[in-house]
Amino acid sequence: MSASRRAVPAAAVLLASALMLAACGSGGGGGGSDADGKVAGSITFQTWNLRANFKGYFDGLVKEFEQAHPGVTVRWLDRPAENYAEKLGADAAGGTLPDVVNVSPDLAYPLAKAGLLVDLDREKTSAAFKGEYTPEAWKGNELPGLGGTYAFPWYLNTGPLFYNKELFQRAGLDPGKPPKSYAELFDCADRISRQSDGRIATLASSPTIEDFGRYGVRLTDDDATAFTYNEPKGVELLTRYRELYRNGGLDPQALNSTPERAGQKFLEQKVAINPGSAHDLGTFKQNAPSLYRNLGITDAPNNTGKPNMYVMGLAVGQHSKHKAAAIAFAHFVTDRKNQEEFAHKVAVFPSTKGSLEDPYWTRDDGTDEGRVRVASAKMLKGAVNYTPVVMSDEMKTILKNEVAKALQGKKSPQQALDDAVAQSNKLLKQS
Amino acid sequence: MRHRMPGWEKVLRYLLMLAVLAVAVGPFVWQLSTSLKGTTEDIYTSPPRFLPAHPTLHNYAEVADIIPVWDYALNSLKVAVASVLTNLVGASMAGYALARLRFRGRRVAGLAFVMALLVPVESVLVAQFTMVRDLHLNNTLTAVVLPGSVGALNVLLMRNAFAALPYETEEAAVIDGANVWQRFVRIALPSVRGTLAVVAIFAFMGAWDDFLWPLVVLSDPDRFTLTVGLNFLHGTFQQNPRLVAAGTVIAVAPLLAMFACLQRYFFRGVGEGAVKG
Amino acid sequence: MPVKSKVRTHRAVSPWLFLLPGLAIVAAFSLYPFLTTLGKAFTDARTLAPGRWTGLENFRDMLQDEQFWVALRNSALYVVLVVPFTVLLPLLLALLVQKQLPGVAFFRSAFYTPVVASVVVVALIWVWMLDDRGLVNGLLQLFGAGPVDFLGSSWLLLFSAMALTVWKGLGYYMVVYLAALANVPRELHEAAAVDGAGALRRFVSITVPAVRPTMVLVGALSSVAAFKVFSEVYLMAGPTGGPAGQDTTLVMLVQRTGTGLNGRTGYSSALSLVVFAVTLVLMLLVLRADRREERV
Repeated sequence: MSASRRAVPAAAVLLASALMLAACGSGGGGGGSDADGKVAGSITFQTWNLRANFKGYFDGLVKEFEQAHPGVTVRWLDRPAENYAEKLGADAAGGTLPDVVNVSPDLAYPLAKAGLLVDLDREKTSAAFKGEYTPEAWKGNELPGLGGTYAFPWYLNTGPLFYNKELFQRAGLDPGKPPKSYAELFDCADRISRQSDGRIATLASSPTIEDFGRYGVRLTDDDATAFTYNEPKGVELLTRYRELYRNGGLDPQALNSTPERAGQKFLEQKVAINPGSAHDLGTFKQNAPSLYRNLGITDAPNNTGKPNMYVMGLAVGQHSKHKAAAIAFAHFVTDRKNQEEFAHKVAVFPSTKGSLEDPYWTRDDGTDEGRVRVASAKMLKGAVNYTPVVMSDEMKTILKNEVAKALQGKKSPQQALDDAVAQSNKLLKQS
Repeated sequence: MRHRMPGWEKVLRYLLMLAVLAVAVGPFVWQLSTSLKGTTEDIYTSPPRFLPAHPTLHNYAEVADIIPVWDYALNSLKVAVASVLTNLVGASMAGYALARLRFRGRRVAGLAFVMALLVPVESVLVAQFTMVRDLHLNNTLTAVVLPGSVGALNVLLMRNAFAALPYETEEAAVIDGANVWQRFVRIALPSVRGTLAVVAIFAFMGAWDDFLWPLVVLSDPDRFTLTVGLNFLHGTFQQNPRLVAAGTVIAVAPLLAMFACLQRYFFRGVGEGAVKG
Repeated sequence: MPVKSKVRTHRAVSPWLFLLPGLAIVAAFSLYPFLTTLGKAFTDARTLAPGRWTGLENFRDMLQDEQFWVALRNSALYVVLVVPFTVLLPLLLALLVQKQLPGVAFFRSAFYTPVVASVVVVALIWVWMLDDRGLVNGLLQLFGAGPVDFLGSSWLLLFSAMALTVWKGLGYYMVVYLAALANVPRELHEAAAVDGAGALRRFVSITVPAVRPTMVLVGALSSVAAFKVFSEVYLMAGPTGGPAGQDTTLVMLVQRTGTGLNGRTGYSSALSLVVFAVTLVLMLLVLRADRREERV
């Protein structure tokens, strides 16, 4: 091939120029400042997709903080929903990570592991604030194997289960008695698919790692160095799901559905039950009024007594030039007053101690929102973040695809989970 | 000049065009329709309803309320126009050299563009970002334009267009003593207006639609381009598909307008230009 | 490539001046970054860790990775099944709207809408239409055919994504063809018509030879694009690649293994290298086939 022979000198030229470019590339970032220093300087504060609805709130926060600390200016940067991890990755690699950054524990873990986040337990100024947050929330931001806490707990969320009362009624089920445990859930699903000749499924997605967690499966070993969800209890859950799939209780597209698509099936009233969160109510009301009239709300099925919760946090960059100011600001945003104010604006929950005893979260005001709010707040006591922070997106995909093979009958549930665990453990060892 | 088209052929052509029309614009009309649906209307009925019961422009007003659409559109416009200009200049010059000039290393240069075309974008993102940061251009609109400022595909399109020109057109000019630059500007360029229009459209579209790169390179929300900014409509806490649809219509409309304006240039294409030029 | 003699240049510097802007950009923002990626293909680098040299380890892992073979098969199938349509259909479409008839400008613009419409939205609508109670199944049932589970079967999902790719590419390549068709001297057609040549004969003996370089270009571009397919499959089959991951394509695998803060940059770069190598071969094959035909 003449063309490829000619390509060789071309490649050589390019390689040489690349090496030259690489040689004059820049070195690593600076070391960052002292956390005990003066609260001063210009810092950046990055949130994740909150600008559209809460611009006023954050502008207010920034202004208030700047007035209280005349030497500090805060630049608020909000990122849109998609590809948040890509931006963090590019910034981490380029040394341009913001001073205060909104992370969930699974995002904080790799950043902390690479030494890019401040260990809040270790810095005197930040460790002093520990007592202000609920122990669960602080623990939720602890990262296994790294021995520390790398983000101030911010807002929490937990999900009720939504169900379609009309579909329950048509199947001869009592719409006032939704399933509470996994056993009841499977019974109810059988009934619905039999009564509808398989036209109505009960669930729209295959079991996720949180389902395994709520079912009482031990997900990882104690120091999170290996996955263990292939234990008998995990196999049991997957076997039950396989029956569900065969009987039409699980939507045929559940094998590769996304939460969005599963949610849409529920909105279209093609499935009877879907997990959600308190702020979904607004979506139902607005986008599917006919469903909203028949909406039932209950707790997610649970065999452990400990519901699942999602945790958001604010981390401080290790290379920040104004660490003291960054820590002060991160604490300011997550202090009780500001968290409660934020949680009044949208259906999330504060992680500060004592907040959830406020009547706003304990007294049912008769509205649907109030009912869900109170029920969810109650659930948060003792809630845990089931998703192991060491479980990367790739490992979640592996689980999903192996589960699918078991549901399709291409593998036994035991085999599928063994394979998923083996592949994930291999990845875990590499990291 | 034009040969007469029989009546049946005309009918057949229109029928075919109508059929393709239905398939081509159906989804777009659906988007338009969703964006016009009011908040009281259920948009998740099955089967879906095609026409809004009470059409309203409310969603557009709300989009403008949530995000500074005009500022973002202006940013996008700056980026897109800059990209069109740099591509027209850079791609036509490179394409001309590849097609019309003889020099050592021409094949290597051509191959460089072919290889650039093949590089998977996903795998060079971080390296591109580091490069831009080293140039101290991160968080600027210039950085958004740079990587696509001379598209490899556009270079190859221009190369093909110049290669198709008959040699006679330039030979006359050579005899007149015109230098390379004069031949390029006065003779070659006017003869490839059709392809220049294609390059302009592709460059505009590429810059206007690009999402991942501006997202990664821009930090400051004030500098966001439209596609990045519209992503704010995918709410963290709730999502209104009507707003998303309105956002998409806003993003697509300028592209359609641009195409509608430029498409007639394809027909004043190379052949005629060369003969007259 | 024409074999005729090139117009001579008098100074050897000017060609490089012509090439400078283009080459500089392409070298700085595509080739150089890609070379750094290439280097990473032989390490165990991760998003936030530079990694160590591991030689061919990533490639050995790849051979044992079941997902890699599935992905390679899907990407290859994509080329084989999609490219013939993306080469021919847009040409026919271009011929259809080339004639100056009243209102034809409107049709030309309308046919371009799929290109500019967001692929995210379009995929969503396709999923809607292909749903078990969607428009397509509604039509099928009118003709007495049972509902087809387009979205539950990995093969049908893949074929549907291919259809989407073809559909979305129609307008794009139509534009490229329109520009090329403008080069075909009208006199040729008219002379042939006078000779009594039918539409098909004129298409085969006049149009095709005239736009052949463009067909080759479109073929090369669309095979590269097809091999690198990502969005359509990702959106229709879901991020996990369809039921049990059976619809995963190579670039989806690049994305899955490489993105996020836990990304396996090394392995992902090795996969990118494979994608690059295959597309390079594809491109050279198409161009070579073209050259050989020309000699005949």
